[in-house]
Amino acid sequence: MDPTAPTRPRSPSTGDDVSSRLILQYEVEQFLYAEAALLDARHYRDWLGLLADDIHYWMPIRRTVTLSDLDLEFTRPGAMAYFDDDRAMLEMRVKKLEAGSAWSEDPPSRSRHFVANVRILGVEGDEITVEVCFHLYRTRLNSEVGSWVGRRLDVLRRAEGAFRLAKRHIFLDQTVIPTTNMSTLF
Amino acid sequence: MCHESQLPNAGDYFINYIGEDQVICVRDEDGQINVLLNTCRHRGNALCRAEQGRAKSFVCSYHGWNYGLDGRLIGVPGQSTYYRGDLDKSRLGLVKAAKVDNYLGFYFATMAADAPSLHDYLGEVGRTGLGMVCANGEVEVVDGIQKNVIDCNWKIAVDNLFDWYHVMYSHASAGSSGLIDLAAIVHPKNQMVMLGDYGQAIGGPGVPREMQDRLDQMSDAARMDYARSGQSPFPRLRPDKATELMGPEGVRSMGHPNIFPNLWITLGGLQLCLRLPRGPSHTELWWFTVIPKSTPPALRQAMIRQANHLFGPAGLLEQDDGENWSQSTRAASGFSSRQVGAALLMGLGHDEVSVGRDGQTSIEGYVGEHAQRWFYRSWTEWVAACDWTELQATRSPPPTGVV
Repeated sequence: MDPTAPTRPRSPSTGDDVSSRLILQYEVEQFLYAEAALLDARHYRDWLGLLADDIHYWMPIRRTVTLSDLDLEFTRPGAMAYFDDDRAMLEMRVKKLEAGSAWSEDPPSRSRHFVANVRILGVEGDEITVEVCFHLYRTRLNSEVGSWVGRRLDVLRRAEGAFRLAKRHIFLDQTVIPTTNMSTLF
Repeated sequence: MCHESQLPNAGDYFINYIGEDQVICVRDEDGQINVLLNTCRHRGNALCRAEQGRAKSFVCSYHGWNYGLDGRLIGVPGQSTYYRGDLDKSRLGLVKAAKVDNYLGFYFATMAADAPSLHDYLGEVGRTGLGMVCANGEVEVVDGIQKNVIDCNWKIAVDNLFDWYHVMYSHASAGSSGLIDLAAIVHPKNQMVMLGDYGQAIGGPGVPREMQDRLDQMSDAARMDYARSGQSPFPRLRPDKATELMGPEGVRSMGHPNIFPNLWITLGGLQLCLRLPRGPSHTELWWFTVIPKSTPPALRQAMIRQANHLFGPAGLLEQDDGENWSQSTRAASGFSSRQVGAALLMGLGHDEVSVGRDGQTSIEGYVGEHAQRWFYRSWTEWVAACDWTELQATRSPPPTGVV
């Protein structure tokens, strides 16, 4: 799927699948809210438990470009990125947070993950592709405020009656990152 | 400004800064890279409002003045009517940087016509530093310049690049994470500092001379096998031809060059970090990642991932640097704390500049703060001088003897 392509709204439901779609929408939203709550509560180890073993957690670099150069707006997979993590790398990030010497998170940041505009873009087998808009607000120490806004493409995979996050591609609206660091998980 | 590989075709441009002035680095139809002030000669509007891209010419969005890729003013709406045909376009081209030159494909520019040549400005130490980037062959920039703003003064970021004392403590959590073996890279008892004209400096670990003598007897292949074997105390060793770029002593340096005042080079993932001051308490960091062109695809991917994971705002090392630099800037800016000053004392009076092969000089021994002192001294001399003539007369030569 082209990450920059607009996603079209689904046609109004007319068939008898409305209730199953409502249930799926509800399940997906509840998973995303619960996942966000784990991050905000700093339960990073529990958050790792929600990830599929083959997760790709990626935030490409976004750039200000002209309309005619929109193909250059995001870096491609394999080029430079802010996050380009597999499960092992995300575990290292959590180990770092647990180390007792992660100075950028001690005193810990206070974060709030807002997840909105949740749209199920497709269901293929066990995998559900979901687009969300997010606002991640972070404040730390006395006066530092960071705010990141963007769009995410998540893939949730159903396994043994639960969802696992199999992909998180994060497309920030900001180009120059306005914060001293990104020591927070998206 | 940029690396030549960022602008492969005519019309490719990349925006950078000289001080607070935005400049367009653009390759023209003759293949030359021009550095043009991004300021329309009519009302000063920005011609390029994107960070990079492809252009046939630069048209101002205000009144439509149109400039060629070489900065010539080629079109003015209403030239024959409103201006009555008496507008001398030849005098209204975009302002060009007074000097533009490159070393190993890295472009530099200045607005000062009386500045020394790039060759002289870099001097042996600056050229050794850039040579370090190309020691394993010609490089190209990987697509994507990471950019973020740290709430710190730019000088603490430069000070920090020479600082191999902070690594074990500041970055302890990155070590615990398993991403990087800090002890394997620091070598606090085998440090090598090189100080050059115009504030140029390299600081960090260095291969001891005796070890280099043994390495010099090896073939390139044997040396690389040794580096990969896990037996070498230095996991990164260089091929013979690196000596041409870095000199017989410089080739031993595994440290961090700074191209004065604000371009850091690191071998962690082969990156150059530009620190752009945004007033006294904000600095924009731009990370350029380069890879030798001959790198096989799998290794290339591994190097890019390593670069992504070490530095940049989400990098496991830089997260904690940002915290320390911003809080150093904040805590040291109160009325009383401003009077105190920093303790730049490590190694002071205990080390000596030694003259090695080909006259290359270095300070070797324990981890210290010689490069930081040289950086701050050079900076104070720069800001005190009104122009290049005065700076040439007043600046200190690189230290000799006991330092």
